[in-house]
Amino acid sequence: MSDQATGGGSGIIGMGRGSYLWLLVFFLAPAVLIYSIFSIYPLFATIFNSLYLRQPDGSYLFNGLGNFHTLLTDTTWSAPFWNAFRNNCYFFLIHMAVQNPIGLALAAMLSLPRLRLRAAYRTLIFMPTMLSVVIIGFSWQLILSPLWGISKMFLQTVGLGFLFAPWLGQENTALITISLISVWQFVGIPMILIYTALLAIPEELIDAATVDGLNQFQAFLWVKLPLILPTIGLVSILTFVNNFNAFDLIYAMKGALAGPNFSADIMGTLFYRTFFGNQLQLGDLSMGSTIATMMFVIILIGVMAYLFLIQRRMQRYSF
Amino acid sequence: MRKPASTFVVHVILILYTILALFPIILVIMNSFKARKAIFGSPLALPTPSTFSLIGYDKVFGDNSIVSYYINSITVTGSTIFFTLLLGAMAAWALTEYKFRWNALLTLFLAIGIMVPIRLGSVAIIQLIVQMNLINTLTALILVYTAQNLPLSIFILSEFIAQIPKDLREAARCDGLSEYNIFFFIVLPLIRPAMATVAVFTMIPVWNDLWFPLLLAPTGGKQTITLGIQQFLGQYITDWNAVLAALSTAIIPVLILYIIFSRQLIRGLTSGAVK
Amino acid sequence: MSEVKIDKLCKSYGPVEVLRDIDLTVEDGSFVVLVGPSGCGKSTLLRSIAGLEPVSSGSMTIGGKTVNDLPPAQREIAMVFQSYALYPHMDVYSNMAFGLKFARTPKAEIDARVNEAARILQLEPLLKRRPRELSGGQRQRVAIGRAIVRKPQVFLFDEPLSNLDAALRINTRVEIAKLHKMLKATIVYVTHDQVEAMTLADKIVVMNKGRIEQSGEPLDLYYKPANIFVAGFIGSPAMNFLGATVKKNGAVTLVDGQELKLKTPTAAKAGQNITIGFRPEHTTLHGNKDLKFKGTVDIIERLGEMGFAHLRLSSGQTIIAEVRGDPGMDIGAATNIGLAEEHLHLFDGNGNRF
Repeated sequence: MSDQATGGGSGIIGMGRGSYLWLLVFFLAPAVLIYSIFSIYPLFATIFNSLYLRQPDGSYLFNGLGNFHTLLTDTTWSAPFWNAFRNNCYFFLIHMAVQNPIGLALAAMLSLPRLRLRAAYRTLIFMPTMLSVVIIGFSWQLILSPLWGISKMFLQTVGLGFLFAPWLGQENTALITISLISVWQFVGIPMILIYTALLAIPEELIDAATVDGLNQFQAFLWVKLPLILPTIGLVSILTFVNNFNAFDLIYAMKGALAGPNFSADIMGTLFYRTFFGNQLQLGDLSMGSTIATMMFVIILIGVMAYLFLIQRRMQRYSF
Repeated sequence: MRKPASTFVVHVILILYTILALFPIILVIMNSFKARKAIFGSPLALPTPSTFSLIGYDKVFGDNSIVSYYINSITVTGSTIFFTLLLGAMAAWALTEYKFRWNALLTLFLAIGIMVPIRLGSVAIIQLIVQMNLINTLTALILVYTAQNLPLSIFILSEFIAQIPKDLREAARCDGLSEYNIFFFIVLPLIRPAMATVAVFTMIPVWNDLWFPLLLAPTGGKQTITLGIQQFLGQYITDWNAVLAALSTAIIPVLILYIIFSRQLIRGLTSGAVK
Repeated sequence: MSEVKIDKLCKSYGPVEVLRDIDLTVEDGSFVVLVGPSGCGKSTLLRSIAGLEPVSSGSMTIGGKTVNDLPPAQREIAMVFQSYALYPHMDVYSNMAFGLKFARTPKAEIDARVNEAARILQLEPLLKRRPRELSGGQRQRVAIGRAIVRKPQVFLFDEPLSNLDAALRINTRVEIAKLHKMLKATIVYVTHDQVEAMTLADKIVVMNKGRIEQSGEPLDLYYKPANIFVAGFIGSPAMNFLGATVKKNGAVTLVDGQELKLKTPTAAKAGQNITIGFRPEHTTLHGNKDLKFKGTVDIIERLGEMGFAHLRLSSGQTIIAEVRGDPGMDIGAATNIGLAEEHLHLFDGNGNRF
């Protein structure tokens, strides 16, 4: 059968090569075009921009990796950058240490067989994830506000009233507070992901463990947990990417300056501020692009490290 | 044999956490209906006839823009979902069904988008939008959001399309349907569940996004509700009634939609991310 | 003594009664098979014995100890699951040793037991492999090995052969029978396949809709089924059933008018409507036996030296007769089937044997 008759090897008999090509273009072109123009091109353009330095006369001179060198070592730039980077790391660590274990624990409880009201719990606990960070951020600002006094009241009822302070306004507590609010909002995601993975484990396996003499807790630790490690890995890498990309919550609660005194500044807000300018500085296309590229590189390194070091070692079990 | 005691403990923990999760939301909504004095005087109390007040809402809705912000959000989200689904399904179909040389490469190309944070290209996106004269339009947002959500949509829909029995497609070919007809009349109806999933999955991040409305459509009445509320809050920051009312106005519709669609939503999250 | 005694066991899920008045004794060292159609409650009964399902009322003892409120680990049972339920993330050795580790058995003892079980089941070369690297038959042996190392009072098997292909099923059936003799174990075994039940059991328990229809030795059930259900369930192909009426002179009239004269008196009263039953393998062609059936040949299924002839009676009902060799029958030919009276079963209006 000639190549022509089978549509250029497509296996569709009777469709010529020309019409096959049109077919493919029809189905693929729109998506590929929009994606390439608005997603891939801008990314490369940004990286490209980061290699150029804006001159006083408005033109751009090729600077190689010079911008990066400036960003990382020149104090005017490096101080805020390392500050933001360090804050991002804290942000990430708090999520890993608080959000994911809580999500895991909730998922473990929700996946217990014959748990009544399971769907109700799941729906309700997931609710904060649904709302925009603007709402969440502001609501918590009100709740934590010393003016309203609600949180102080709560702490007083459990005898911890002395702990209260305007955490959001204090330099040493602002970042942690915002991180915990973010954790509060997004716990639902690891919870749901891990819950689904737990559901896939056949009940007979747990029966076998019960017959082998394990109680529920031991069965979870020694049988269920090892089998959901790939999902936990996925949750971790998603947390990483989302945290190092973060911007919305901090901007909503603290504005572009991410105060007090940049204590809540992360790379996302630094990027925004650098690119668009603010009351302290003019917008800088080159350095803005440089920061964005740095963020991309950091995230890429993290993802690569995960894929090659961790993902490879993990066994995916199918049942 | 499960001991009733341990089940009890589990329920206690879950109830406590549920309260923790819902409490701030309930607090805000509750107090948005109270007069200022009552908000501060007895913040935990439900609004009573004497403390009931809609003064905050007057200010929120008095400004008429709120309604237009909602319309903007609905337009952007709805259009994004439409295009993401249509274009995504078309691409997913071609990648799954048809053999051609660049198939694997193209799939990889599109898959990268799932991990790539599109925001990092914002610098160039803004330049692009400005050049295309689309600044401060909803179109800009729709284009960007569609581009952002296409990779995952294609990925999920591909999995689903691959599960359509080959026999079905071959029977359609025997029946004389053209490839285009097969897609629109056979494949699309069959992947409706997956499309519902993708729709729900796409809806939330687009509706709640602050970044791109801030960058691309910050003024001129083209704000989305998320940005609008943010600006409103910034403006009325000391007016507690207005602020609480604004927050509640943003919360309540989302809450209602969520409760209606919660099952699809959770199914969407799980199917997408288990891969 | 590892006898299992079950007394008036009942189990309900809310308003639905899943097990009704189960009385069962599993003698020490015997192989008891619970058999029945899907949904009859056999797996539920097994899981209740294991302690994986709670019961509503009644008592269970294992080895003289009442176990109603004991968790599975304390009942001294071991279970082989239908899907084997091997821990995917552990190798074969660890799978078998897992339960013992949690019982704080000393390491030397664990080692001895696992290696012994591996030797019996020929698993020694596989000890370091993971379940996904094993074939279905090998996985099943590991599941059995995991049960053996526990040295239980009772082994519980939940449809262990249903996931194997036909040839492997027959081989493994023999292996299990040998294992039973070697270990002198008390075994409770669930299956829906009556051939497995007949070949493996010391005692068969036929269950239906949550109740025990009949229990006894395989051949007892074969020759003297207590009711139509058991008669139709045991034996393949199934027993032929025909409606009939009793006549005053000790004869029985079939629906199509044929009369069968019975020599032995029965408890059936004249005028009573009964059901008669007989097995295809007890029929002979061109009968010179006590009882004769007349019919025309519809279909002949030949399986080699043996075959089955489907005959239509003038009433339209069909009976199956076994034929040997080449009887030279033609489709549509009128034929006589003979049956010895001792092979005729009579069931009353309620389906019970007379």
